[in-house]
Amino acid sequence: MKKLLIGDQIVKSFSEGNEKRTILDHVSIEIDQGEFVTIMGPSGSGKSTLLFALSGMDEITGGRVLMNGRDISELREKELSDLRRRKMGIVFQQPTMLHNLNMLDNIILPSVKDNRKNVASITQKAEALMERVGIAGLKDRDISKVSGGQLQRAGICRALMNNPDILFADEPTGALNSTSAQGIMNIFSEINQEGIAILLVTHDVKVAARAERILLMLDGKIVRELKLSKNKEGRGDDGKRIEMITEQLREIGI
Amino acid sequence: MYSRMIRNDMSKSRLITLATTLFIAAAAMLVSLAAVLVIHLSGAIDTLMKRSETPHFMQMHRGDIDLARLEEFAEQHDNVQEFQVLKFLNIDGSQIRFGNHSLVNHVQDNGFSVQSEKFDYLLDLNGNIIQVNDGELYVPISYWKDGITKVGDEAVISGKLFTVAGFLRDSQMNSSLASSKRFLISPNDFEDLQNRGSIEYLIEFRLVDFSQLKEFETAYALADLETNGPTLTYPLFKTINAISDGMMIGVIILVSLLVVAIAFMCIRFTLLTKIEEDYREIGVMKAIGLRVSDIKRMYLGKYAFIAAMGSILGFLLSFLFQGVLLANIRLYMGESENASLGWLFGVLGSLFVFTAILVYVNGVLKRFHKISAAEAIRFGMSQDKTQRTKGFRLRDKKLLTANIYLGIKDVLTRKRLYGTMLAVLVISTFMMIVPQNLYNTISSDDFIKYMGIGKSDLRIDVQQTENIVGKSSEIRNMMQNDNTISKYAMFTTKTFKMRLKDGTEETIKIEIGDHSQFPVEYSEGRAPIAEDEIALSVLNAEELARKVGDTVPVVIHGMEQDLTVSGIYSDITNGGKTAKAVFDDNTAESMWVVFAAKLADPILIESKVSEYASKFSYAKVSNINQYILQTFGSTMNSVGKATYSAIAVALILSVVITLLFMKMLIAKDRYSISVLKAIGFTNSDIQTQYISRSVFILVIGIFVGTILANTLGEMIAGGLISSFGASTFQFTINPITAYLFSPLLLISFVLIATVVGALGAGRLTISGNIKG
Repeated sequence: MKKLLIGDQIVKSFSEGNEKRTILDHVSIEIDQGEFVTIMGPSGSGKSTLLFALSGMDEITGGRVLMNGRDISELREKELSDLRRRKMGIVFQQPTMLHNLNMLDNIILPSVKDNRKNVASITQKAEALMERVGIAGLKDRDISKVSGGQLQRAGICRALMNNPDILFADEPTGALNSTSAQGIMNIFSEINQEGIAILLVTHDVKVAARAERILLMLDGKIVRELKLSKNKEGRGDDGKRIEMITEQLREIGI
Repeated sequence: MYSRMIRNDMSKSRLITLATTLFIAAAAMLVSLAAVLVIHLSGAIDTLMKRSETPHFMQMHRGDIDLARLEEFAEQHDNVQEFQVLKFLNIDGSQIRFGNHSLVNHVQDNGFSVQSEKFDYLLDLNGNIIQVNDGELYVPISYWKDGITKVGDEAVISGKLFTVAGFLRDSQMNSSLASSKRFLISPNDFEDLQNRGSIEYLIEFRLVDFSQLKEFETAYALADLETNGPTLTYPLFKTINAISDGMMIGVIILVSLLVVAIAFMCIRFTLLTKIEEDYREIGVMKAIGLRVSDIKRMYLGKYAFIAAMGSILGFLLSFLFQGVLLANIRLYMGESENASLGWLFGVLGSLFVFTAILVYVNGVLKRFHKISAAEAIRFGMSQDKTQRTKGFRLRDKKLLTANIYLGIKDVLTRKRLYGTMLAVLVISTFMMIVPQNLYNTISSDDFIKYMGIGKSDLRIDVQQTENIVGKSSEIRNMMQNDNTISKYAMFTTKTFKMRLKDGTEETIKIEIGDHSQFPVEYSEGRAPIAEDEIALSVLNAEELARKVGDTVPVVIHGMEQDLTVSGIYSDITNGGKTAKAVFDDNTAESMWVVFAAKLADPILIESKVSEYASKFSYAKVSNINQYILQTFGSTMNSVGKATYSAIAVALILSVVITLLFMKMLIAKDRYSISVLKAIGFTNSDIQTQYISRSVFILVIGIFVGTILANTLGEMIAGGLISSFGASTFQFTINPITAYLFSPLLLISFVLIATVVGALGAGRLTISGNIKG
C-alpha cells in the first residue's frame, strides 16, 4: 500500500519560563492510503498536537512531515493552505463554523474559494452530502439554530467537499451524546470504506474500535501500536475489538 | 496586586498606552487652554470696556448737526446718564505717513480725535486714560502689531509733523473687523488739522438702565434726529472685540472636542481588544465569585492612571501655549481683572477630561455584566450576535470572490461594530472636503458677489466730499470716453424716507443705478429692473420683515410710492443695510457714488488705478483684486492653512483609528480566522477579506461624508461666511481635489493602515484558538 502521510521523528516543544516542555518527543508515524487510524491516550499525552502537526495546522520544532512524498514544512504558506483545502479534510471536537454564514454556505466555502464559476454544481454536491449525513432540510438554517450533532455533520460535509485524501478528526464525538456520536461514526466508517484515509483522535474505546490501527500515546510518545483487522462493517460495538483495546490501555496504565 | 497588574499590562502594550496618554494629554491641554482663554478674553473685554466707559449707544453722522436738538433729546430722556458728541476727523490714507510708509493702500477709514471728557476714553497700554500733549500722536494698537510704526517715530499727517508718543486701545474700534480706526491728538493739533479732512460725528450716550437699550434705540429713531451713518450699540462693540479671539477659541474648542472623541475611540478599541484577550479570565473571575465591580476596578484602575497622567501632562503643557495665545488678547485688550482665576479654570478643564474618560471607560466596562461565565470559559471569546442578512448568500453572489464576499458579509452582519469605524470615515471625509470647498469658494473670483459687491476690475468711491454729483459727472465723462474701459456703471446712494408696517417713518439708503451690470448674488429673486422695484439686503429684508413680492412704501419726489421687492441679496458693505433700485431721482441728496468698471485688457488695471487716482484725488480708486486681498486675504490664508491641517488631522485620525480597530477586530475574530486557516484559506486571503471590509466601509463613508459635506458642511460654512455678512452661500467645488484626490488619499491611508493592522491575523495559530 502506498504511504500517504509520514511523520518522521516529530518533535514539538516550547519554553515555559526557563523550562523547556516537550509535547511530542521524536514521534514517527506512517499512514497508508485509505487506512483508518485512531490515536488514543490520556489528556496531555500529545495526541491532538500530533494531529495538528501532521495536518500542517501547527508548526513542529523538529523532524518532518511528508504528505504524498512532499515535506510540508518546506511548503510556502499558500501551498500548505492549498494542500489543506484540496487534499485534507478536518473535523474538530467543537463544530467550527463561521457565525455569519448559514449551513450550506459554510459547507461550500472551501470549494467556492477555488471555483467561483461552478457554484451550481458545488451546491448540488453539498446538498447531496447533506442528504447523505441526514441534514438535508437545514441548508438555509443559521448555525445558531441547529444542534451540536447537526453542526458536526455539516463539518464533515465541509471536510468532504473537495474529495480529500485524508480526513483528520480531533475528538469528533467528544461533545455529542451517544446517539449522535454513533451516527457520526457511522458516517466516518462509510467515508473510509470509500477509500478516504482517516486519522482520528479519541478517548472513546467504541470510537477507536472502528479503526484498523490504534496508536496509544503517553507523554509525547507512541508507546504501543495495535493492529486490528479491517472493520468492514464499520461497527463500533464489536465486543472483541473493544475488549482488546481496553486490555491494551490497561496494560500501559491508561 | 492592582498596581502590578496595571504595570504588566502597560509594559505589554507600550505603544498603545503611550498613544492613548498623548491623545488624552492633547485633549486636556486644549480644553484647559480653551477654559483659560475664555476667562481671560471675557475678563479683558469687560475690564477694557469698563475703564474706557464705552458708549451704550452711538450714532455716526455725516453732514450738518443740530447740537441743541440732540441736547434737548438727551435732557428729556430719563434713561440718559451721559451724552456727548465727538468729532472724528477723516483723513485720507495717503495723507498719513510714518517715515516712508503711508496708509494709502489701507482699506480702513482713519480718523483723528481728541480725548473725550465724559466717557469713551482712549486708553494707553497700561489701561490709563491718555493725556496727550501738542505734537504727540497716539496710534491704534493694530498699527504697532502690523509693524507700521513704533514709539518715537515721526509721523506726518496732512503735512503736519507729529511724534508717535504711544499706542492706544479703543474699546470701539480696536478690532481689525471694525472698519474705522481712531488716532489721538491734542485739541490744539485737532484745531489745526480740522480743515484738512472731513468731519464725522460720533453721537454717544451712556444709559442709566442698560436693559432699556432697545427702547432707547426706538426713541432715538422716532425723534428724527441725526442718523446719516451707522448706529452701533454696546453689545455690538463687545461682539466685535470678542470675535477674532473668540473664533480662535471656537476653533480650539472644536479641535479639543475632536481630540477628546479620538481619545475616546482609542480607549474604546484598546479596551475592547483587551476584554477579548482576557475573555476567558473574566469568565473565570465571574465563575469564582468575584463581583463585576471588582473586575471593573482592575480595568478602571489602568485607565484612571493613564487619564490622570494624560490630564496632568496636558494641564502642564497648556502653560507652554498660554503665553502665545494670550498675547493677542493682552495686546488688544490688556489684562483681565480675573486673570488669577485662569489657572483654576485650566485645572477644571483638565479635570473635566479626566472625569469624562473615567465615566466613558466605566460605560464601556458595563458589558462585563453581559458576559456569561460559562460561555466565556467554554469558548474563550465573545460570541457576537450577528444579524441575518437574508438574500445575501454565498451561492448567489457569483460575481464576488469568496474573500470579498466574506468581507462584505461580515460588515453586513455586524453593523453596530462597524458603525464606529464608519462614523470615523464619514467625519474624516467631511473634514477633508468642507475646508477645501470653503477655501475654493472664498478664493474664487465670484465670491465677492456674495458680499454685496459686483465683480469688476476697478472700483471708484466718491464720498466724504463736497459736490458729489458734479465730481461724479467728471468721472463718468472720463469713463465714457475711455476706450480701455469696456463696460462701466455708476451707482448713487441716496437716503429716502419710508413707512414701516407700524406706521412710523424710517430712512433707507437706496443705491440707484443699472443693477443688471456688475450684479451681486441674490439669495432670492433678482435685481430690480422696473422703476417700481426694489431689492433689499438680507439685513434690511429681515428688519423690515419683507420678502420677494412684498411692497415697501418709499417717499420719492415727495410722493409715497409702493416699490415691489424684486430680490434679496447678501451685503457686507455699509453695515449690511442697503437697498437697490433703478428709478430716477433728483430730489434726495447723494450720499456717495460708486463706479464699477471692467477693462478691455485686465493687464491695464494697475496703470488705470494710478491714472484715475491721480486725476481724481477726491475719489478712492481701488483695484478690486487688491480690495479682496486686503479684506479677505488673511481669512483666505487662515482657511488655506486650516484646509491642510484638516486634511492632515483627518488622515492621522483615520490611520490611528483603523489600526486600533483592526487590532480589536482581529482579537474578536481570532476564532473565525483560525477556522478559515484550518479549511485552507491563506493569510493573504484573510488580508483580502479585511481589505474588502475596509473598502466597503470606505465607499459608504466617503459617499455619506461627501453628501454631508455638501449639505450640512455647506450650511455650517454658510453660517461661518454669514459672520462676514453673506447669507446665501453655495460651495465653489474643485471636483478633482474634492472628489478624486481627497477620497484617493483617504482610501490609500486607510488601506495601508488596514494591511498593517491585519498583519496580526497572520500571526494567529490555528492550534492556539480552536484546539480542544
